[in-house]
Amino acid sequence: MTIKQAVKAAAFLAGFVFILVTVTYIIRTNGGVKDRFTGFYAEKENTIDVVLAGSSPVYPYYSAPKLYGEQGIASYPLSTNNQRPKAIKYLFREALKTQDPSLFIVELRMFTMPDEEWEDTMVFTRGVTDNMKYSVNRIQAINALVSDKSERYTYYFDIFKYHSNWKTMVMPEQLACWNYEKAHPLKGLEIKTGVGPAEQVDLSGVTGTKEPAAEQVEVLYDLLDWIGQSGKDALFLISPYAMEEDARLQYNWLISAIEEKGYPVLDFNAHAEEMGLDFATDFYDYGSHVNALGERKCTEFLGRYLDEHYDLPDRRGQKGYESWDDAFALYEEQQAKAEASCLADIENENWAPEVVED
Amino acid sequence: MSVTSFYFLCLFALALLLYYAIPKKAQWAFLLLLSIGYFMTSDPVTQSGGWYVIFYLLAAVGAVYGAAVFIGRTAEQRKKRAALICAVLFCLGLLCALRFFGLPLLAPLGISFYTLTLLGYLFDVYYEIGQVQTSYLKLLLFGAYFPTMISGPILKYREMEGQLYGGHKLDYRQVTFGMQRMLWGFFKVLVISERAAVIANEIFDNYDDYAGLPVWLGAVAFTAQLYTNFSGCMDIVLGISQCFGIGLPENFDAPFLSRNISEYWRRWHITLGTWLKEYLFYPLLRTRFFMQLPKTLKPRLGKKRAKQVTTFLAMFLLWFAIGYWHGGTWNFIIGSGLLHWFYIVSGELLEPFFSRWKAAWHVPDENRLFIFFQRLRTFALVTLGLIFFRSPTVPDALRMIGRGCSALNLRILWDGSLFSYGLNWIEFTILAVSLLFFGWASVRQQKGWLRERLEKKPLILRWAILYALLFYVILLGQYGPEYSAAEFIYQNFRA
Repeated sequence: MTIKQAVKAAAFLAGFVFILVTVTYIIRTNGGVKDRFTGFYAEKENTIDVVLAGSSPVYPYYSAPKLYGEQGIASYPLSTNNQRPKAIKYLFREALKTQDPSLFIVELRMFTMPDEEWEDTMVFTRGVTDNMKYSVNRIQAINALVSDKSERYTYYFDIFKYHSNWKTMVMPEQLACWNYEKAHPLKGLEIKTGVGPAEQVDLSGVTGTKEPAAEQVEVLYDLLDWIGQSGKDALFLISPYAMEEDARLQYNWLISAIEEKGYPVLDFNAHAEEMGLDFATDFYDYGSHVNALGERKCTEFLGRYLDEHYDLPDRRGQKGYESWDDAFALYEEQQAKAEASCLADIENENWAPEVVED
Repeated sequence: MSVTSFYFLCLFALALLLYYAIPKKAQWAFLLLLSIGYFMTSDPVTQSGGWYVIFYLLAAVGAVYGAAVFIGRTAEQRKKRAALICAVLFCLGLLCALRFFGLPLLAPLGISFYTLTLLGYLFDVYYEIGQVQTSYLKLLLFGAYFPTMISGPILKYREMEGQLYGGHKLDYRQVTFGMQRMLWGFFKVLVISERAAVIANEIFDNYDDYAGLPVWLGAVAFTAQLYTNFSGCMDIVLGISQCFGIGLPENFDAPFLSRNISEYWRRWHITLGTWLKEYLFYPLLRTRFFMQLPKTLKPRLGKKRAKQVTTFLAMFLLWFAIGYWHGGTWNFIIGSGLLHWFYIVSGELLEPFFSRWKAAWHVPDENRLFIFFQRLRTFALVTLGLIFFRSPTVPDALRMIGRGCSALNLRILWDGSLFSYGLNWIEFTILAVSLLFFGWASVRQQKGWLRERLEKKPLILRWAILYALLFYVILLGQYGPEYSAAEFIYQNFRA
């Protein structure tokens, strides 16, 4: 084989890899999670100051446009459904590739659930790995999240999974994801409508502790060590929901373990009254996740907390943040409609159908 | 490990790099290691834990090796013959015990193929048209060369000796051609065959629910499935081997362009046909019985007819063997054996009638329409046989044919029913377009290798075509977590 032939072969291979990656990015299943991640990758470099990770108690709870509009905080949720805690470290690493946030925020709900419950359900792992750009970090995330080695290749090369989505290649919004960068108009937020009333259970008397599943404890300590080494600040959240006693015991354990390492835990359940959170009106799925009404209260409380406890820059009016102004304007418009919809539902006692989602 | 699996392709790439990195003298040993490795990672070993099946292979090679060496050394014809018979009986006994007699024994990968390959070598040695291989390990490589373990082709030692044991320099053209051939195979298997299988499975598994055209559509779909699966597998196998610098014999030559069944069998599974002709049919005709038979029949039938009847009888045994080899049950014996014997014999007997008919209607042999009719007829006859081949039993096949003849149901062509046999209109269109493209390529191929034509195109156009085919297969191929792994039909039937 001559040098010319070797160069030709390498060029052909490089072309193949480029097309393969591009096509994969386009045909990855469209939806909220893809939009959130492509939105994150589309953000200008070093413009995000706070990155949030965690499961579904993140993206409908905390509005990045509102935090920006009211406190000037540029935040972004790298959140997916049933996000396995093992994934968080890799998501933060991913964030550090293009951003230089001073604060990581971790939502804790998934730490109270054994990992094995979620590993078998491929979609929750893929929610993370199939929304990351190709990189070594992504490979490491797959290795950590997928224990069956014979299956890992379908995660490394997710076109194995998504090639049957080829029909979506004609959709302009899919084509726009060719480099996995497509601006998210609401900076990762999903505004939820609908009302599913719940009752707040008073667990303030539950002061005991229960250690979460061993692998989650291990993941927590690994994450705390990594955050410590990264030199970044971290805040842990317990988003409000109709909690059960077993979970409360585990949260108590988590709070003391995290605080022992020097990081604060903001427990929204403990501040529900102060926030004005009403379990009868502020949830869309009977106590598991907040609707637009709850999101406004959670975001306002988080915003005040961040304002008081962290020295985060006010990005409003700064150059490069024009899209954030647009996002805030859009948020206000859509939030107003969503809140009006919720209020109408409350007035008409039009309750949402029961949905099981974490 | 399936050759369409991701891990196989990764290991193949790695093996290719190592193969050309090591000294040429060691390449055959490397191929032997690869072959043993492939054998030991095959389904019988990994899924059933039958690691011991390697001993069946080693024993068959041992028997053939010992007999060949003995035949090569001894001068006495009687002893040579005894050694040949012992080795043949041993190998065929092993094959029949493991494949056909229903014994609860695990059959190793490729046993039907390596048995015929090894016996062919032994016959060549016996008939003194082939050299004796004095190295057991080299003969083991010949018998177990990994690409051929899936579905053949059946090798001839005298054609492979120089290639298998001689060293190979990295040849860019050979490697790229090999990869292009593999890609073409993946196109046939993953895009066409897997889709055609959906329709075939639906109709064959529920033939009682259909009548008329849908039944024939199912039969045609199975013909398309089988052909693209088997020939696609051969493309992959030949492509893999070409990458290693080793050319394997072709097993297909556009069989559905054949104008009659005899020609079809010269173009379908060529190496099996050649093997059976050379090592079964001709020796059979040379036996005392068949030499004597024309003389016995001559007084009653005349010289020409007596010879013809003798040939037909020998052919009957040949076709019975072909059918039996395909599966050992009556549906295979009829579907891929005796029915084809019937076609050929009928064709021969009716030839004078056809000739008169053609002359009366002034139909020239090379008339395009007539050629098209002949090809269509071949396709229809083969498809009819494949109904037996695919059906679980002969009565099932007959019932299915009966259902096909019980109505016309032409309305399925326009009332949307075509898209209710497991493929929606998009998938059906992909299948139809792919089949048309494949058919076009098969016809073009008759005028010269497409790869060589492609090679002469400007680089940009060439790459654009290759990328297009590559991503056509990647996107439209039926593989991955949502599909069952592509398997090769012939591997299941006989290997």
